[in-house]
Amino acid sequence: MGLELEIIHVFRSYNGNPILRDCSFAFAGGRTYVLQGPNGSGKSTLFRTLALLEKSDSGRVEYRDGGRILAADLALRRRITLVLPRTGIFNTTVFKNVAYGLKIRGVSRAEIEARVNDALLAVGLGHKKWQRASELSSGETKRLGIARAMVINPEVFMLDEPTANIDSANTAIIEDIILKMRQDRQAIILMITHDPAQAQRLGDDLLLMQDGKIIPA
Amino acid sequence: MQSIIEGFAAAFRLIVTLNPELWRIILLSLEVSGTALMLATVLGLPVGAFLALRRAPLRGLVISLLNTGMGLPPVAAGLFLYLFLSRSGPLGFIGLLYTPTAMIVAQCILAFPIVASLSHAAIANVDPVIRQAAITLGATPIQESLAVVKEARYSIMAGVMAGLGRVMAEVGAIIIVGGNIAGYTRVMTTTIALETDKGNFELAIALGIILLTISFSITVALRFFQRLGQGGTSGN
Amino acid sequence: MARILLITSLIGSLFMAANVAAATRIRCASTTSTQNSGLFEYLLPIFEKKTGIKVDVVAVGTGAAIEIGKRGDADVVMVHAKDLELKAVEEGAFVNRHDLMYNDFVIIGPANDPLRIRGMKSVADAFKKIPAQGAEFVSRGDKSGTHTKELAIWKTAGLDPKGQKWYLEVGQGMEKTQRLANEKRAYTLTDRGTWLATRDKDKLEMMVVLEGDPVLFNQYGVMAVNPAKHQQVKYKEAMAFVDWLISPEGQKAIGDFKDQHGNQLFIPNAK
Repeated sequence: MGLELEIIHVFRSYNGNPILRDCSFAFAGGRTYVLQGPNGSGKSTLFRTLALLEKSDSGRVEYRDGGRILAADLALRRRITLVLPRTGIFNTTVFKNVAYGLKIRGVSRAEIEARVNDALLAVGLGHKKWQRASELSSGETKRLGIARAMVINPEVFMLDEPTANIDSANTAIIEDIILKMRQDRQAIILMITHDPAQAQRLGDDLLLMQDGKIIPA
Repeated sequence: MQSIIEGFAAAFRLIVTLNPELWRIILLSLEVSGTALMLATVLGLPVGAFLALRRAPLRGLVISLLNTGMGLPPVAAGLFLYLFLSRSGPLGFIGLLYTPTAMIVAQCILAFPIVASLSHAAIANVDPVIRQAAITLGATPIQESLAVVKEARYSIMAGVMAGLGRVMAEVGAIIIVGGNIAGYTRVMTTTIALETDKGNFELAIALGIILLTISFSITVALRFFQRLGQGGTSGN
Repeated sequence: MARILLITSLIGSLFMAANVAAATRIRCASTTSTQNSGLFEYLLPIFEKKTGIKVDVVAVGTGAAIEIGKRGDADVVMVHAKDLELKAVEEGAFVNRHDLMYNDFVIIGPANDPLRIRGMKSVADAFKKIPAQGAEFVSRGDKSGTHTKELAIWKTAGLDPKGQKWYLEVGQGMEKTQRLANEKRAYTLTDRGTWLATRDKDKLEMMVVLEGDPVLFNQYGVMAVNPAKHQQVKYKEAMAFVDWLISPEGQKAIGDFKDQHGNQLFIPNAK
């Protein structure tokens, strides 16, 4: 069945400006949601709140497993992930970047080796394994960010503008990966984009951010 | 002019023939300053990291104190340490005065504010997205902090090199607490001071050449680390 | 039977004594001029070989050396300022002071000796000539044994040179003071040992203009820091050093010591 995610009556303001206003939505397991909306409508804030990176002012984010509500602890946080728009790659090799999530979970070296290689292959960066991540192009950097998140097999996979500002070749590679994950039906996939055509291609459910709330598109 | 040239020639001879006294002095210098820096880093890096990562209440005050400490005159530090370590002083019972250990302590005191302050700056300058990325990948609070510190490692190393350069160059603190004892607490800088006083320019110039070479290498290393630190995460 | 036991126990205890004494260090505060003469480099290995005691020498000015002893940061002090030494002993800071050796001071001046001091017998009279005839005098000004002696002579001559423009106080060691006097074509008081050791090396265009006045006699003394004042001083080893220095063997070693020109710098005179 997998994780279920629900956001319930969440309010969030920055410096007195309300961003999320009584935001509520239930995300079903195994489906892919694509969220669009104008700049500043609160999409990134929503994702960061869902990813437990930030706390809401009121309301709650609920993760359920088999109907049981999960505590928002480290164990839960390790089952979900968010690929940030600025990616935040570490100043080390491509390999070590992708290995990070596994390393902090205490996975064995042999298993890390295997899983990282698979992830790099999936995003097409296998040949750059030992290069410094800072030397990658912006498209490759975005792919690296996705590989880094994929490799930990998250049950909720959030991506904030995964193909913004990159060329069509890289965009195609990334869309392929997302489509493959969607086919597997293993995780809830949440994605933000400004490209309506891309939303159509990739999403099961299309959503819109309006007045600080999520509404179906 | 003639004596200067003669001095240089004699100095080269000392260096090339691996004069044992010369090399013992050089080795002790590296040992004392190296150990002092290791200690200063072990103490200073966590302090710098703590200040950068936690919004501690007295943060501003501590950072100001550290910045002042960076400019602490070595000879003043040496004097106060001497008063503490003297057998008539509060820590006299340890019997550290006029030993290489006292010199290490003195140089550690000088290097600590440099390492702490520069580490703090390096870590505070890490893009906040790094910390966020670590959290999204499931890091515990400690792992989160480690990721940030690791990200700043080159700039931190540059800070350590700066500290090393500072203590290898100083003479005021270690001559007071070390006593410049022959074969025991004599290092490059204190020997240069002594031999110049005595008019023995051979040894002084030889040590001067080597000291400059080491200083230069430290500067190169510092530059190297600084550049690596700059070519880090871009805003991708 | 008894004799064999006696000899064996004697040898055994000698062995143990040697082992216990191994890797022991004591600290001797002395003066820069004594250190720079090279005396310690000659004497200390002999002493260490005999007793296994390593002596670390901290060389500073006389005043500082006595002060270091008073603070208990040294175990034994060797300087050449008998008045200051005896005063410190009276104050209870030191014990077992002994005369050790002597050398003499000389007045040196520019090679052409403009003041015609050469040939004079009384150093106090020579000192009077300096301001009177417009020459300059360089003083160490650092509370060293040399400086102490120099001040005593000014007192005898009835002059107070402090602050006068012909009197240059440099606050430096003897060699630097000599080199300065050379630059300034001035007169200065120095110890014969330093003079002999540095005259050619530093290319000093100077000469000895006055010597032999009994006032210029420079007595060295050695004394141990009073263990009652500072419990941690290594009194036993310090006394081992003192006793060796004043012993016939130590005194002979002092007399045997020659600088690189083959000059004997110190005349042993322990009683």
